[in-house]
Amino acid sequence: MKFMKTVALVTVMAVAGAGLAGCSEKTEKETETANWTGKIVIWDGPRWEDPSKNKYHWLEAQAKAFESSHQGVTVEIVQVPWAELNDKLGVSIAGKAWPDIAPIDISGNGVNPTFIKQKVVEPLDDYFTADDKKDFYENALEAYTQDGKMYGVPAAMTVHSMLLNLDVFKERNVEPPKDGQWTWEEFVDSMKKLTYDKDGDGTTDVYGMSTYIKNGYYEAWPFLYMDGGRPLSEDGTKFTFDSKEATDAMKKLADLKAVEKVAPKEMGSGDVGGTWKAFSAQKSVAVEPWATWAISAAAKANMNNVMVASYPTGKSGKPVTIGGVGGWMMFAQEDKGKKKVLADFMKQLSNTDNQVLSAKNYGTFPSRKSAMDQKPFEGNIPMQQAQKLTEQAVMVPKHANWKKIDEAIQKELQLVLNGEKAPDAAMADAKKTVDGLLK
Amino acid sequence: MKTSPTTAHETGKPSAKLRSRQKSLLREMWKQRAAYLFLLPKMILFIAFIVLPVIWAFVISFQEFGIFESEWVGIDNYVATFQNEAFMIALWNTLKYTLVTVPVSILLALTLATLIHPLGRISQSFFRGAFYLPTVTSMVIIAMVWRWVYNYRFGLFNYFLSFFNIPAQDWLNQSDTALWALIIMSILIPPGVGIIMYLAAMGSIPESLYEAAKIDGAGSFQRWWQITVPLLKPTTLYLTMLSLIGSFQVFTQVILMTGGGPGDATETLVHLIYKTGFRDLEFGLASAQAIVLFVITLIFGLIQYRLLYRKSED
Repeated sequence: MKFMKTVALVTVMAVAGAGLAGCSEKTEKETETANWTGKIVIWDGPRWEDPSKNKYHWLEAQAKAFESSHQGVTVEIVQVPWAELNDKLGVSIAGKAWPDIAPIDISGNGVNPTFIKQKVVEPLDDYFTADDKKDFYENALEAYTQDGKMYGVPAAMTVHSMLLNLDVFKERNVEPPKDGQWTWEEFVDSMKKLTYDKDGDGTTDVYGMSTYIKNGYYEAWPFLYMDGGRPLSEDGTKFTFDSKEATDAMKKLADLKAVEKVAPKEMGSGDVGGTWKAFSAQKSVAVEPWATWAISAAAKANMNNVMVASYPTGKSGKPVTIGGVGGWMMFAQEDKGKKKVLADFMKQLSNTDNQVLSAKNYGTFPSRKSAMDQKPFEGNIPMQQAQKLTEQAVMVPKHANWKKIDEAIQKELQLVLNGEKAPDAAMADAKKTVDGLLK
Repeated sequence: MKTSPTTAHETGKPSAKLRSRQKSLLREMWKQRAAYLFLLPKMILFIAFIVLPVIWAFVISFQEFGIFESEWVGIDNYVATFQNEAFMIALWNTLKYTLVTVPVSILLALTLATLIHPLGRISQSFFRGAFYLPTVTSMVIIAMVWRWVYNYRFGLFNYFLSFFNIPAQDWLNQSDTALWALIIMSILIPPGVGIIMYLAAMGSIPESLYEAAKIDGAGSFQRWWQITVPLLKPTTLYLTMLSLIGSFQVFTQVILMTGGGPGDATETLVHLIYKTGFRDLEFGLASAQAIVLFVITLIFGLIQYRLLYRKSED
């Protein structure tokens, strides 16, 4: 009797399963050909604001336009602060509740390889023809390509540059670097002159330079590159930040605080907001390295006398900086019809007009040649100065374990800038972890 | 001659004694069905959101768990956990944090409750409310306030130090001060729950005991030490367990105030588990780390329970 019951149950389940499988096959075929309708969930961080201080107005307008051109499609925007984007994505992936489209932070280094490994990001090659790709700069596409597949649409690029508050330079009678170029010695000399006690109470009120150290952010790194040091060998198999070129540069940077006293005690902490405030609001630091978004942010903070300069040139004889690529990625989808619609929306968000708009308002460089051809920086001298630096830009190494490698290096760098560890010892400790990750 | 349970085990059938015990338990549950019915919604939530995820985490800890595909890896994740230097550093930091904050906050709660208890009803209510308020305040808000307190340039801490000509410290950004800054913050947040529970327990101690001790010539400290403290031991035991579990799970202030840095100075177990799980998406390894944390907390809890429970029975 029991046996009969079991057989009956299994039979019913098998029949039901087959039926359901049949249904799902049919559904997929249908949506492949038919126009998909439904809701798209897109995350984004704050961008430039409109007169009502809304920093999401651009995406809201884009969503509205897309809904009009795609009847039956609605777009839900989820606002996420940039600093929380990666954490929130991680949690949403763990809960299998990811958005359909999410931005890739321009300050980072492309699509997170862990997302690709976990197959939660869709390759986009089916939706971008060779002709489509031709309009993108090669290095922008390269940043989003892994194992020959394109995992995101580059929508903007940036470089890190030195932002100079020329008001302080004027106040201290210091000449800014000619054509934005300076050697390390010239840089230190200027920083010394810019560091001073403003109110005469015996303590320093304004410092020459400051920066921060945080996982996934690279404002301080071009200093470490200036003598020729690099974190990994070109083929990505060896840790090379323990080279003399790299550790000497680290020492020079740490000495700005410990020996030259031209940097505040907070330099090297992970406080991004505090570092920016010191430059833009408190005006207690004259020079800080930032990505190009900071140029328009400084203008909005009523800093109208800002100049963009290269990082100082070290023993390598050439100024060097680090570039970043921002864009959009599509998360794993089951419905082919929806994928097509999502790809259409991503194309819209990264089209020429939108890249020009972003360049003019958000301080980014277009990743499309057609957008750059429209000369978006006409009359914008700081952005023109920054544009020159793109020739000096190198990208952060691409490695499947880069997040962990980055963390191993950054936490040691914090200790170096704190004066708690010598660069040699710090990088020797980083090497122990990184070597294991490179295997 | 073999006993019946062995026989039952051998035959695979429950013994008569066991059967009758099961029946009486079911009968008792049926009698109290109204109470069980009231408990049911909470138990369903508890099972759904606590028991099942814990079991699931245990299962995952033996897998290289992926979003779409997983692979059984035996005890590899546990081996990796114990071989991971970062885990050992996080464990040591968490232990330091726990060993200081738990006893100090319990002692603080006991002291404050002792001072509040003799006050009049209105004053008692005021202090109960005042000390409980931070408990209902989000740790996120508290952490933001304390970031300002520890600010190198504008912080309250360095302002006070300046009165004593002590040089300002960058509390959260130096390896030797960062963990202590978090510890001090935890200690200085009033232990509201502890105070309320101690006050309730103190209220139930018979006044006659104090009167008898007074007649015998005991001073106020002796009465506190010999009567109050021993009779509060069950409350102390409960609070210690609660505080211990909370301390081992310290996370919010770490992620908001230091991010585990500088270096590894404030890396704690739950922050490491969070990073392993949600940043690196290594769910198997993160689950193994979480299970190890669970076992460590359990061991510490049992040790404390044995020590305090035995003493309270004595």
